[in-house]
Amino acid sequence: MFDRIAGRALIPVGIVVTGFLIVCFVLLYSAIKTVVVKDSIGHANNLAGIILKSTRYAMLKSDRELNSAIVQNISQQKGVEHVRIFSQTGIVAFSSNAAEVNRQVDKKAEGCILCHAKNEPITTLGNMEKARTFKNRLGEDVLAITTPIYNEPECADAACHVHPASQKVLGTLDIGLSQDATLSSLSSIRGEMVLFSLLTLILTTAGVIALLKMIVLQPMRKLQEYTERSESDSQLEHPHNLPYELDKIARSFYFIRNKLAEAEQHTVKTDANLR
Amino acid sequence: MEQADNNQPVTAGTTVCDTRATLRQGLLDEIQGLKRFSNRGLWALSLFLGVSTLAWRNFPFLPRPEKIVASLGPPPTAQIISLVLILYTFSAIILSLCRMMANLRHRSSFCHVGYLGVFYLFYYLADGLADNYWAVFGAGFTILLMESYRIWTFCNDNIGKKNEQLAYLERTGRLPLDDPNDT
Repeated sequence: MFDRIAGRALIPVGIVVTGFLIVCFVLLYSAIKTVVVKDSIGHANNLAGIILKSTRYAMLKSDRELNSAIVQNISQQKGVEHVRIFSQTGIVAFSSNAAEVNRQVDKKAEGCILCHAKNEPITTLGNMEKARTFKNRLGEDVLAITTPIYNEPECADAACHVHPASQKVLGTLDIGLSQDATLSSLSSIRGEMVLFSLLTLILTTAGVIALLKMIVLQPMRKLQEYTERSESDSQLEHPHNLPYELDKIARSFYFIRNKLAEAEQHTVKTDANLR
Repeated sequence: MEQADNNQPVTAGTTVCDTRATLRQGLLDEIQGLKRFSNRGLWALSLFLGVSTLAWRNFPFLPRPEKIVASLGPPPTAQIISLVLILYTFSAIILSLCRMMANLRHRSSFCHVGYLGVFYLFYYLADGLADNYWAVFGAGFTILLMESYRIWTFCNDNIGKKNEQLAYLERTGRLPLDDPNDT
């Protein structure tokens, strides 16, 4: 296989095309995945902003019932895994899971440690830093956003429950969104990319094989058959319609074969004359 | 004087035999050297698989990326590393194909393992190793497989030529004239 023209031509082409396609496929998929994940984090941040705006009035009025209703309604939306609002001390004030309310959360837990790693907690985070992913009890991937609830002049001045103006963060909102839709989109993109890559690979390999066979292998076989048959028939005409280089070889072989036949005839005649 | 005349053909014969033996030994050494060289690509591939295993385990002997970033500064983003990886893969393949066409003896395999190791390291620092591991692995496997194939075909062709020269030497006692097309 490695000695034949087809083998020698096709092995490097096969390695190069397959390898480069795999590299491009993985890098392109990775780039698409990054864009899709960034996009879903952006959407989750927007949703967190909407929840904060929706609950703002109820918080100003210190209306726990209204706040709970808003949190419950939002958590019933398809794709929303959980909604929690923590007080500054880390106690769950409102949650989509009623059993969690009034429970203390460990500041070293995932999602909290990001800001509470040092003695002085961080009060501002970028969009990507607010996000974390984990698997829930059912083994489903969840994207969670933890966003701080900042103190505003209206909050500090509210008559119902006073927060000092010096307090920068009043609490945090934690929202978890199911990643099923995102993962399903990524899986669909991956499938399509694999299909297109396979088609490209098959087309390239088939194209190279077809061209190689048409341009090199078939004319070579004609030339090979001609040289083999001319051993028994010295008058055999050389094949036509060969590519330039092979045509030159065929013509040279034809010329040498004729010269050899002439020399053989001359020898036979000389031998006959001598007798 | 008479004794010296008698010894002359013996000395000339011995010299011819010595020359033939030296040439023969030289050819055999070259064949042996080519056989050793033909495995070079596979050794490089094995080393690359070792480096890839370390990368797969997230370089357990290295400190956490955050520590390195804190002392050295931020690495390039994963997108920039990917762009450079594509350029590198493309150039390495083209170079390998050119060397194959020119039938050059070039010992380039092991430096590729170094370059690919650096790509793993940069992805590790940029926190993009999990997403891009298979890209570096695919690039490395392709480049080193190409190089192995190039080195192997080069050595096979040259071993064939050397064997022909050896047979010619055994028949005629001298080496054939050099082929001007040989590199």
